[in-house]
This record gives sequence, structure tokens and C-alpha cells, in this order.
Amino acid sequence: MLRIFLLILCCFPVCLQAQTFTVSGTIRDKRTGEVLIGASAILLEMPRSGMTSNSYGFYSLSARPGNYTLVVSFTGYRADTLKIVLDRDIRLPVGLIAGGTELQEVVISSIRRNDNVTRPLMGVQKLSTSDIRNVPVIFGEKDVLKTIQLLPGIQAAGDGNSGFFVRGGGADQNLILLDEATVYNPSHLLGFFSTFNSDAIKDITVYKGGMPAEYGGRLSSVVDIKMNDGNNKEDHFGGGIGLISTRLNAEGPIVKDKGSFSISGRRTYADLFLRLSPDSNINSNSLYFYDLNVKANYKLNERNRFYLSGYFGRDALSFGGAFGIDYGNATGTARWNHVFNSRLFSNTSFIYSDYSYKIKINSNNNDIDITSDIRDLDLKEDLQYYVNTGNKIDFGFNAIRHAISPGVITASATSSFNSLRIQDKYSLENAAYISHEWSPGKVHLNYGLRLSAFYVLGPGNFYTYDAAGNAVDTAHYRSGQLVTSYFDPEPRFSMSYTLNDEASFKWAYDRNVQVLHLLSNSTSANPTDLWLPSSNIVRPGIADQVSIGYYRNFHDNQYEFSAETYYKAMKNQIDYKNGAQLIANENVESQLLFGKGRAYGLELFIKKKAGKLTGWISYTLSRTELQIDGVNEGKWYPARQDRTHDISIVGIYQANKKWTLSATWVYYTGNAVTFPSGKYRVNDQTAFYYTERNAYRMPAYHRMDVAATLLGKTKRRFGSSWTFSVYNLYGRENAYSIVFQDDPADSSKTQAIQYALFRFVPSVTYNFKF
Amino acid sequence: MPMRVARIFFAILPFLSGFVACKKVVQVDLNNAAPQIVIEGEVTDMPGPYQVKISKTVPFGSGNNFPPVNGAIVRITDSTTGFTSALLENDSSGIYRTNAFVGQHGHTYLLSVNSEGMSYAASSAMPAAVRLDSVNFVRNLDLNNKPAINAVANFQDPPGPGNKYQFTEFVNGVQVPQIFVFEDRLSDGRYIRNTLYNDTVRLHQNDTVLVRMNCIDRNIYDYFFTLLQISGNGNFQSASPANPNSNLSNGALGYFSAHTVSQKSLVVY
Repeated sequence: MLRIFLLILCCFPVCLQAQTFTVSGTIRDKRTGEVLIGASAILLEMPRSGMTSNSYGFYSLSARPGNYTLVVSFTGYRADTLKIVLDRDIRLPVGLIAGGTELQEVVISSIRRNDNVTRPLMGVQKLSTSDIRNVPVIFGEKDVLKTIQLLPGIQAAGDGNSGFFVRGGGADQNLILLDEATVYNPSHLLGFFSTFNSDAIKDITVYKGGMPAEYGGRLSSVVDIKMNDGNNKEDHFGGGIGLISTRLNAEGPIVKDKGSFSISGRRTYADLFLRLSPDSNINSNSLYFYDLNVKANYKLNERNRFYLSGYFGRDALSFGGAFGIDYGNATGTARWNHVFNSRLFSNTSFIYSDYSYKIKINSNNNDIDITSDIRDLDLKEDLQYYVNTGNKIDFGFNAIRHAISPGVITASATSSFNSLRIQDKYSLENAAYISHEWSPGKVHLNYGLRLSAFYVLGPGNFYTYDAAGNAVDTAHYRSGQLVTSYFDPEPRFSMSYTLNDEASFKWAYDRNVQVLHLLSNSTSANPTDLWLPSSNIVRPGIADQVSIGYYRNFHDNQYEFSAETYYKAMKNQIDYKNGAQLIANENVESQLLFGKGRAYGLELFIKKKAGKLTGWISYTLSRTELQIDGVNEGKWYPARQDRTHDISIVGIYQANKKWTLSATWVYYTGNAVTFPSGKYRVNDQTAFYYTERNAYRMPAYHRMDVAATLLGKTKRRFGSSWTFSVYNLYGRENAYSIVFQDDPADSSKTQAIQYALFRFVPSVTYNFKF
Repeated sequence: MPMRVARIFFAILPFLSGFVACKKVVQVDLNNAAPQIVIEGEVTDMPGPYQVKISKTVPFGSGNNFPPVNGAIVRITDSTTGFTSALLENDSSGIYRTNAFVGQHGHTYLLSVNSEGMSYAASSAMPAAVRLDSVNFVRNLDLNNKPAINAVANFQDPPGPGNKYQFTEFVNGVQVPQIFVFEDRLSDGRYIRNTLYNDTVRLHQNDTVLVRMNCIDRNIYDYFFTLLQISGNGNFQSASPANPNSNLSNGALGYFSAHTVSQKSLVVY
């Protein structure tokens, strides 16, 4: 593998200059020791040398020997200026102090916060923890996945829901990573809360297109979430009490300046209210979730650092003892950062990810357990080679073993059901990638290739089906035997052309391949949705996307504006036959239909980054259509999540040192839905007659939320805050569903009933830290 | 079973917040499709005559009066014996009757309908009979957490996969407007206790309940299973509703079923 890489390296236009030295190191928060991701470092004497620190805070700048001024800066931190004499390779860790007015203190015109303009990456959105902290959310439960829905091109799956669609792709087409581990079901309580406790989160980046080559496996987006490392100077504790949950966290040094830990936990207590109910039918129900994030890191020496991080979360719902389900994710990541030399940074990760559910049914002689899980083991190697100024190569590989148990039914002797084990599915998802970031003059390029290989492995029976879905042939494979394989090159290309310091054009093309498909035929996220690997029947989904954008900053980069357009073509998309049986079905692949999709749109975004009032306005104009053989007579039809208009306005106002006020307003076109175009009588009941798929629209959705945060006085180390918020301030009844039925009062008529979920949801949250 | 699970999820949902879903009648501007033919016919192992009902769809906004289709030429043929019965319309009711014969297990029946220049056909094979062993009653919680009485149909599924069942429940002589189907895909050869979760009509002590069990063929199971998915009353509906998978040709709505009948009647205790 290494040899191939070296060979490929030679093909890149890497201009190695004679006699240069390198300054490198890690950029951290000076008070907490937390590494800063995406901080910028530049040698003032070389205006084009600017770069940003990687996921582990590492930076590396090379130049000819001489005296230089190194400036390191990061949003929300005071910039630091360091004089250096570059007469050899220097290792220089940098600590920044939080707060202050960022750049004003260092009046250097050549430093500009215009990364968004110059960097070739397109379709990237980063959210800061302060945005997440201040934006109002339902029940006051801060939620990264709900806050990103306010960004252009990212659509909410529904009222109060943490699920989302990116540029028309399905909810299963988002790669959601927590410290590099795939989180297969990122939601709690049927999608109303995400699995990400915002206390534990340091950084979140969303890629809607132009994905860097290091990411792969999903068609629409990558949501890369990084957990806090923990304070390596002193112990701190914090927590919060809200309407829905209580949170607690602790962090501190393991060995001062060398290692730290961070633990965050949260648990909801809706079920405690249920238990207070005098109604024995209600107080025997349970309904809660909890999650735990743990992370530790230790620096062995300047060249080696180890990280361990883990997540464990579980939902438990039960209904009068007769029915219960618990489900959740567990992930673990062990990482080793190694600095080979001042230009070559390596990270090796070993990752475990598991999602499982267990259903218990105990009623009327039926005593049944149903379990299912997906388990991944993943070895991942990422290397970054800082060649010279504006010239960087990323390369690496990963190998994932997927083991999926689609369903095991354990039934008692008196049950009406048989015990059954659907055969486990094994596969290997491998990839190798290389990409080159290069800035010759006004043009900034990032181009690369990801090669993905997918191997379907035995043991098991693999079927072929006739048109009616009957198995016509069965092939048996031994353990480890190759059933079928898919190889797909995924080219990634993006470039920016800077017109001046404040404006640029960008262009990107990327291909993504998805080998795991989520089978789900319900409207909302269902914990029993099944991940199905590609196979002899199901082919990997492929998406090709081109995007063009114009980026412009105003007022000394205080305002950012961008306009992006995209066109995405998707192949091997999955839909379901009418009446598909997806649960506990050995022949589930016979229940599927295949087709293609297309999505295109325009995204406008303007953000005010500084001053008392900050916030953004985003607008998306888009169309998403599908064409599936066997649906809608094979004609193109709008996808459910096709939304013509989608607007979000976010404002955060820092009134004074104590009060922060915020408000959001969202508006979007209703989902495309199928409504009846007639009715008839059959089986002595009224039935509805349907014509085209998704030819109707739900009513438009709009809503305003407000919040106010009061910062308490800090006494010694103790600080606290109160957050008050109202979700859906003007109480609009947004349609969650519309159903058609006989009028209960007059059976000679039919009626349409609209259900709405949340109106005027007030909440209060108290947070503290010491 | 999965359907039931999904229903329960939605039922629990409002407890999450105490902000129970608001519900209101709305006006929806719906298209009016051209009237479509609806055919509903059966042959059973009980003595005939059997009937075929033919009607038309109406716009959603109209009353629930479905115009009968008169003057159609309707035939049912036993394809195993070649015997054909020409059905006669009862007045102008859109209801067509066979002469008296008795459907036979294992025979395949063909329906043909000619009406307004179009012809429609379907075939259905009558499965072997399975006897409804007994009916009892259980007390469960309904979707609103209230105690409810439900009937349980008990029967022995014969060995070998592919047995499909449909149930009809009558309370004091009135049919419960709900679809109950069961298949032995996950239950082959078991003694089945199938609870008829009745979300529409409440059972009370001393009500007379008749449970009718039909053994149906695969296509008819498919029809009622897909009809069930679009007939979710109340707060559950399919993500992308579609017309049920019919065994009738030429786009006709409805079904033609040859099935067995086994039934039990008893008073709720």
C-alpha cells in the first residue's frame, strides 16, 4: 500500500524547494489545554503561507531560512504574534487566550479572516459552540443536529425533529461521525432529540458537497463531530437542569499538561413524571434515554499522543409491561497521533461502532424477544504531508468490517411465533485515498481520489429473485467466501479562484458511493429501521454532484455572503414495493425497487459574524425528484423531502454582559405527499383512491422561537446561567400529518384531519460550572 | 405485528411533552379523478349463491354514496371443473349473484366482468380449510392507555408455510370496520392465538361477538395487507400511500377472493 502511495505522490506536481525549514506544533487553548481545530497560522512575511490547524490542532509552515513573524489566530480568541528565527526545524506549541476582540489588538492588514473565501472547499458549514449555545431549541435541549438545520441546504425532517436531509438526499445518506466513529442511529425518542449531548462537543463541521477524499460511505453529507478533550490544567465540573433532562460533566488533568479526561452524561426524566401519575396504566410505562460521553488523552512526548473516546447511549420505552423496546449506540475510538517529522503528521485510529435494539412483547401468551444489531470494526490511517507553503498532501486508508444481525426472534413455547434467526450479513468496506491541496497564485485547488472497495462475504445463502419476488435460485457460501465485490473510484475536485481578498468563485465536483442502505418505510426515524449492505441484488448507491459558488465578504470580513448552486444525480436509489415486509424477512431484498434521483438548487447565505448582533439568513430554492421502476408508472415524481423554498433567519443579540437574546424564524414549503383523488367502498369500509405519487403538498411550515440567557455573577470559580425559551412563539399549528377518514359524527361523509404537534413550548434551563 | 409496534410508538409520543397533538378538521383541495370501477367478489366453501358487487369511485368531497354499476356481464368459472356460473344482477343494485353451488378447496376460480366496453378478470385459488378452534377475550390497554376488551382467535396453523388468514369481527351483528389479517410467515405450524386489536368499536360485557376466519390465497392476503396500510384510522398513516395490490386486471379496484369460512359466536364475558 505504502509503495503505491509513494508512486502516486511522484505524480503530483509537488514543487520541492531547496533548503526550507519548518515551524510546527500544536495550537491549544492556553487556559484549558484543549486543542484548537481550524485555527489559522501564517508567516506574516509570506502572505500566502496561511493554513489552518488540523483535527488535532497540528500546524506546519515551511519557509526559506530567515526571521519571520508567526501569527496564530482563532475565532473567539486573542491572536498571538511570535517572532521566530527559522534557521532549523522548530517545534513551537502555541497557546491562545479565549475572549477579547480577536484581531483588533494586532493591527496587521495582511491577516484576514477570509478562509471562507480563499479555501477551495465548497458546501462546508461549521458551527461554533456559541452558536449552538445561543440558538433557541425545543424544550431548551441544545442540539447540534437541530441547529445545523438552520443552515442552507439542510432541511429539518419534521417538527421538533433532529433528523435532516441534505440537498435532497435521504436521512440515511448522511455520514454522522463522532470522534470518527459512525453513529448509525443519531436520534433518541423517535427522532425528537439527537444522540449528541452538546456539553461533550467541541467542534462540528458539515460537508454538503465537495467532500474531502478522507470521507466516504454516504451520498449526501458528512457531519463530523469532535468531542472535548478535557482541561489538562485543572479540574472542572458543570451541569444543567432542564425541562427534559439533567446533565453533568467533569473534566480535568490526568497528568498536568500531559493528559486530560472529559466525562459528560445526561438522562431524561419524562418517565419520572409518568410515575407520578395516579393512573396505574400510565405509571407503569417508561420512556427515557441517557447517554454518556467519555474521552481521555495522554501525551507521551512531543511526537506521540494517545486518545481514547467512547459514547454509550440507550433509549428505553415500555408500554404497560406488554411491550418494550430499548435501543442505542455504543462507539469507541482509540487513536494514536504521531509526528514523524515537522512535515508529516499521522493519525491511526481503531474504531468500534454498534447499534442494536431489543423488543420485548409479553401479552396474551405471546412472550417474544426480537433483537437486531450492526457492529463495525474499523482501522483507519490518515497522514498529512505539509510539502511547503500552500502545498499539502492528505492520504490514508481505512478498512471496516460490518457484521449485521438483521433479526433474531426468541419465542416462548406458548407463543404464536417461531424462534428465528435471520442469517448474519458480513462485509468489508475498504478505501484508500489521496488528495492534494495546492495554491498556485489566485487559484486554490483541492483534488484527489478515493478508491472504495466493497466485499460481500459468506457464510450464508444468497438468493436471486424473479420479477414477482420469488426466490428462484439459492447459492450457499462458506464462511469468509467472497460473494460479490464492488470497486468504485470516487474523484473529488474543488477549486477557488480569488478575485480579490474579499471575493472568490468556487467550483467542485465529487462522487460519493454508499454501500450500506437504511430500509425504512415509515415517516419518522424508527429504531427498528434496518441497515442493509449492498449485495448480489442491491448495488451501491452513487451520487455525482457539481456545484458552483460565489463567495464575498464585506466590512473587513464581518459579513460573509455566499451563493452556491448544485446539481446532483443519484443512481441505485431504493424504494419499497407496496406492502413490503422489511422486518425479520430473509428475502428482504425481494421487497425492494430501484431507481434514480436528481436534486438541484440554489443556496444563499449571509452571516454577520461580529458586533452585538450576530446571526445569519439562509435561503434554499431546490427540487428533488425520483424515478423508480414500479412507482408512479415509472415517471419522475417529487421526493417526499422536496421543498421549493426553505428560509431560516437567526439573530443573536448580546444586550449587555448579563443578557443574551436570540430568535429564529423558519419557513419552508410543505413536503410532497400523496393524497387521495377519490374514494370507494370495499370490505364494508370507505377506502381512498390514489393517483400520482407525491403530487400534493402539505401546508407551508413556519415557526418562530425565542430565547433569553441570563449570565449569573461568577463567584470565585462558580458560574451559572439561566436560559428561558419559547418554541413556536406565535403558536402556529404546523401540520404534522393529514389523514382522511369517515366523519365519526356522520358516516355518510368523509373528512380530512390535520394533526399538529408543538405549539407554545416554554422551557427553562439552569446551567452551572465550577 | 410491526404495524402494531409502530402504532404504539405514535401513541406514546404525546406523553413526551404533555403537549398533546392538536387535531382539527381541514379543507384540502383534492383532485377529482375520473370514476374508476370497483369490483368485490367472493366464492366460499359455504353453500352459495355468492355475490359480486360492482360500483364506482366518487370524489372525496361527495357523500359516501357509491354509484352501482348496472348491466355488467359477470361470470365465475371453476377452472378445475370447467363449470361456469353467469351472475344475475339483483334489481339495479350493482350486486350480481351466482346460482347455487358450493366452492371446493383446492379449486381455482376465475371471475370475468364486462362493463362499459371494458373487461376485467381475476383468479383466486381456494386454500385448504383451517378450523377456527375457539374464541376468547382478553383485556388489554388500548392506544389511549384505557382498558379494552379484545377477541382472540385461536387455531392450529397447519405445517408448511404459505397459510394466510383474514378475520372479520361482528359486534351485535354489525361488522367492525377494520381489517385483520395474519400470515404464518413467522409462525409456521404453531398454535396461533391472534388478538384482534379493535381500535374502532369497543366491546362490552354481554355483547355478542361473531369472529369469522377465512383462509385466503396469497394475492388476497397481499390485497388486504396493503389495504390495511392505507386505512390506518386516527393518527397513523403510511408514508407513501398507494392503491392496494389487486388481483383484478385492467386497473380495476377491489378483489376477487375464493376462501374458506370458519366462524364462532359468543357473548363477551
